[in-house]
Amino acid sequence: MKAYTLTLLLFISMASAQDMPLSQVIIDDEGWEVAVDGFEFGDGLCTDAEGNLYFSDVKGGTAVYKVDLEGNRSEFISDAPGISGLQWGSDGRLYACVAKEQRVVVFDAEGKEVELVAGVKPNDLVVTHDGNLYFTMTPTQEIRRIDPTGKMTVVSQGVVTKPNGITLSRDQGTLAVSDHGGKYVWAFRIEEDGSLSHPGNYMTMRTPASDPDIAKGDGMATDQHGRYYVTSAEGLQMFDPTGRMGGVIATPDPESPLVSVCFAGSDHAYLYVANGGKIYRRKTRTSGALFFQEPKPNETPPK
Amino acid sequence: MARSTYSLFVFIFPVLLCSVNSSSGADEDYEPGPDAMVKAGVPAGTVTQHQWHSEIFSGTERDYWIYAPKQYDGSKSACVLVCQDGGGFVRENGAFRAPTVLDNLIDAGDIPVTIGIFINPGVVPPAKNGQQVRKNRSFEYDTLSDQYARFLLEEILPEVSKAYKLTENPDCRVVCGNSSGGICAFTAAWERPDAFRKVISHIGSFTNIRGGHVYPALIRKSEPKPLRVFLQDGENDLDNLHGNWPLANEQMAAAFEYSGYDYKFVLGTGKHSGRHGGAIFPETLRWIWRDWKKLNP
Repeated sequence: MKAYTLTLLLFISMASAQDMPLSQVIIDDEGWEVAVDGFEFGDGLCTDAEGNLYFSDVKGGTAVYKVDLEGNRSEFISDAPGISGLQWGSDGRLYACVAKEQRVVVFDAEGKEVELVAGVKPNDLVVTHDGNLYFTMTPTQEIRRIDPTGKMTVVSQGVVTKPNGITLSRDQGTLAVSDHGGKYVWAFRIEEDGSLSHPGNYMTMRTPASDPDIAKGDGMATDQHGRYYVTSAEGLQMFDPTGRMGGVIATPDPESPLVSVCFAGSDHAYLYVANGGKIYRRKTRTSGALFFQEPKPNETPPK
Repeated sequence: MARSTYSLFVFIFPVLLCSVNSSSGADEDYEPGPDAMVKAGVPAGTVTQHQWHSEIFSGTERDYWIYAPKQYDGSKSACVLVCQDGGGFVRENGAFRAPTVLDNLIDAGDIPVTIGIFINPGVVPPAKNGQQVRKNRSFEYDTLSDQYARFLLEEILPEVSKAYKLTENPDCRVVCGNSSGGICAFTAAWERPDAFRKVISHIGSFTNIRGGHVYPALIRKSEPKPLRVFLQDGENDLDNLHGNWPLANEQMAAAFEYSGYDYKFVLGTGKHSGRHGGAIFPETLRWIWRDWKKLNP
């Protein structure tokens, strides 16, 4: 049975090695537009089931901000400065890396904060549907996990030079982590017990000519077809589910760093990026994978 | 065994889509020839199926097949043919039908006694039911590094050598593949000409999937390596985000010509399929082995 399955998989992997050019994602007349302006350094972009956008101002802000589907901006959680990563969990709570205070916390529906761990150096996080939180510790080359009971473990150390952005495959069986100090996005298998195994330098990012070994991989996202997106020095890089580069979407403002990405808005069909003091968005032909929802297999894109 | 049932439904759908799309055109004119048919009186070799768990490609599993001709008796080292995407090469009704072709050509004395090793690309199976595998094919085949050559030299060949006496003469080892498997075959020989010196590439992906488009430039500006290379492509092969396959293969051929390599380039009218490469596979094997009687496996 096992042999049969592997054989079948090969047959399929050849047949379905589908090309995924940028034209399957971007729309000619739908370039970047400013979605939010007037803050210092946006980060931690994430969305909820409705498509509202949440973000932080990691340098100048004191709150978690919300932008609804009509584009109205409000302060969602006050007195929450220095957040570098945000994600909603399947429990309806908002998880946050508070880089400034070296803590990982969660906000409940009333906005009340509960500390999960302290004394850590969190950068960005992802939360699986079954309640495992994985976060990157960029300076110590670590990926850590906080399980649903609140217990923290180191699940990878020394593999990724500067682990930064973090996302999942749409079926939530693979964890992908970008390297801010190298040129790869690494893929790990998530074991049944939540540990990580079999790291592979699965995606090779484009790097600047002036710095050919360092892509500055940063925030990550995944779409309904299993494509991975990673912000970098060269722009928003897109990879197909087999790790092949699909293309690079230009940075809206190349003078500012591109640090965070998520799908949000109506049908989660808009790419949002944090690019310095502005958040930009553009409509796409795809939509985001939402990890607070049940894991799903990749959808086959239309030709 | 729970793992065995993963994702069958998920994967079958795209296959059906592809099979609908890949019909008509000159590609269909290429058919397996008489040397790919079982001939009366020609002894048939054996094909056995195996599995491999790799360390070099951490966490991957794959099937592979070993073909051993009737003429192999263990008294002498056999030559070696390694094919990527091996499952397709051993399929009885496929485009290549490699075991039958090898039976016929070995019997005719056109090629040496050869052990065929047909290897599938690896997958990292998921930990949980219902999740998809991490396909490692592109990583293994399209990456420009010595990792795949080391996988052959440190894992597969030693394993097959437990049952068969294999040559260590690099001139007696052929590496072969289609598409990304084609560039993989070339990369193995390019990285380790001390180990592999014969390459067969059909519809080879010498394009920018993971940087393979640089080979023509590297070939022109490197001291020539002692390789013999066969390239096949079709005028109607792919033109996509990674590159243009016919142009890329023409660039490879031009670079081989410029640098004085022992090469042959066949450009047909086919698409991105194994049909043309399969139809001429016996002739290709005769060309790559044309002086085999002078070699000492």
